Amino acid sequence: MSRSVLGISEQGARPARLDRDRSLVEAARRDPSLFDALYRKYLAQVYSYAFYELRDHHAAEDATERVFMQALVGLPRFEERVDAFIASRAVIDPVDAAASSDMSTFRVWLFRIARNVVANERRTDRRRPSSSLDDAAELSAPGDVVEAVATREAVGAAWQAVARLPEDRRRAVILRFVDEMSTAEIAAVLGRSEGAVRVLLHRALRSVAADLAAGENSGRRGQLS
Amino acid sequence: MLGSGTRDARRTERYLDGLMAADERHAHDVPVDTDLDPAVRSAARELRAGLNRVHPSFRFEDALAARLAEGAIRLRAGLPIEEAAPVSGRGTVSPFLSRSVHGTGTELPAAAPIVSAVPAAAAIRTRDTWSAAAFRRLPEMGSRSSRPLIVGGVASAAISIGAVYVAWRYSHPASGRMGRAARAAHGRTGHSGQSRRTGVINGILGVVS
Repeated sequence: MSRSVLGISEQGARPARLDRDRSLVEAARRDPSLFDALYRKYLAQVYSYAFYELRDHHAAEDATERVFMQALVGLPRFEERVDAFIASRAVIDPVDAAASSDMSTFRVWLFRIARNVVANERRTDRRRPSSSLDDAAELSAPGDVVEAVATREAVGAAWQAVARLPEDRRRAVILRFVDEMSTAEIAAVLGRSEGAVRVLLHRALRSVAADLAAGENSGRRGQLS
Repeated sequence: MLGSGTRDARRTERYLDGLMAADERHAHDVPVDTDLDPAVRSAARELRAGLNRVHPSFRFEDALAARLAEGAIRLRAGLPIEEAAPVSGRGTVSPFLSRSVHGTGTELPAAAPIVSAVPAAAAIRTRDTWSAAAFRRLPEMGSRSSRPLIVGGVASAAISIGAVYVAWRYSHPASGRMGRAARAAHGRTGHSGQSRRTGVINGILGVVS
């Protein structure tokens, strides 16, 4: 059973009603100074995506700045792009439709900008400092020392496993785990079908599982020798 | 009929949804699909624990917020954000306003744009009353007919040329018949034009020749 989103549109419902950020977006379009609310809401998400992709705080800050500047300038054109986004996902199943009803088309649009900006950044800047991993652990584990060590190990293992993933799987994993996006949102950001995203995530987890198992085995061998 | 890969992918998705939902309600129990590979479940839990959202420094956050606010002001004024960084002394394109623009504030300026050395801040104040659409269409205005600054330039050049010609004519007597007749008439009185002018100047300056 499938349902057409375009059908919803033809019956008179505007696609932008799906957007839970609609009031903020409309306010920012009337008065650009109110864009600040959207910026504060999505800053950490965009920055995290850039940071995990670029693995460098400074590069992530540059990318984040570009993303929000482009979003501010492009906000008047946002609704047209939503229409295009909805049209590109003409046929979805009922499960996906339910998921779509809670999605933020603004967030999808913002992350599409982020994906392009980060991709350009990766192409132009090949710096990959290894110290950023420590920064990530410190940021995610303030306070308790034992907990900090455990978290650092978890971050280290997860980071290395994700870093070894192919590009499309890595993006899907970051959007799913760090930015907590639904499959429908990830599909929209990456320009893939939802089925393809499900398979990407499943294969990514299998790769990570194999990676973690290999790491544990080598750790045991190191302890024995 | 779904393939086994698609079925596994759907199981993984349901497990991830349950994992996220459990985190949101701070619950430790996650609904487990026993058909899902335990290694995949374990990897999902590892990634959930290890891939944390990170926040930039507050200094960066506030600095970018300030830049966005500045950009918003420029957008409202119809200026491109790329010029947000203040550069003193840099010229900006500022169109010459026609009366119609002052009248309604929405019509396009009817005059050609000119390049002037207006600082960015002053430019913002000048364009406050314009619509952004009007400013974006500046390049199209180059083909409009009225060019007041060019007309003014031609007029001032013509005045200068005229003054030079009059001065030259005054210092160089005419060589035509009328000129010769005039010189002959003055010659009878013993005063040429040149000596008369010299006498007048010397009289003003108090010089006795």
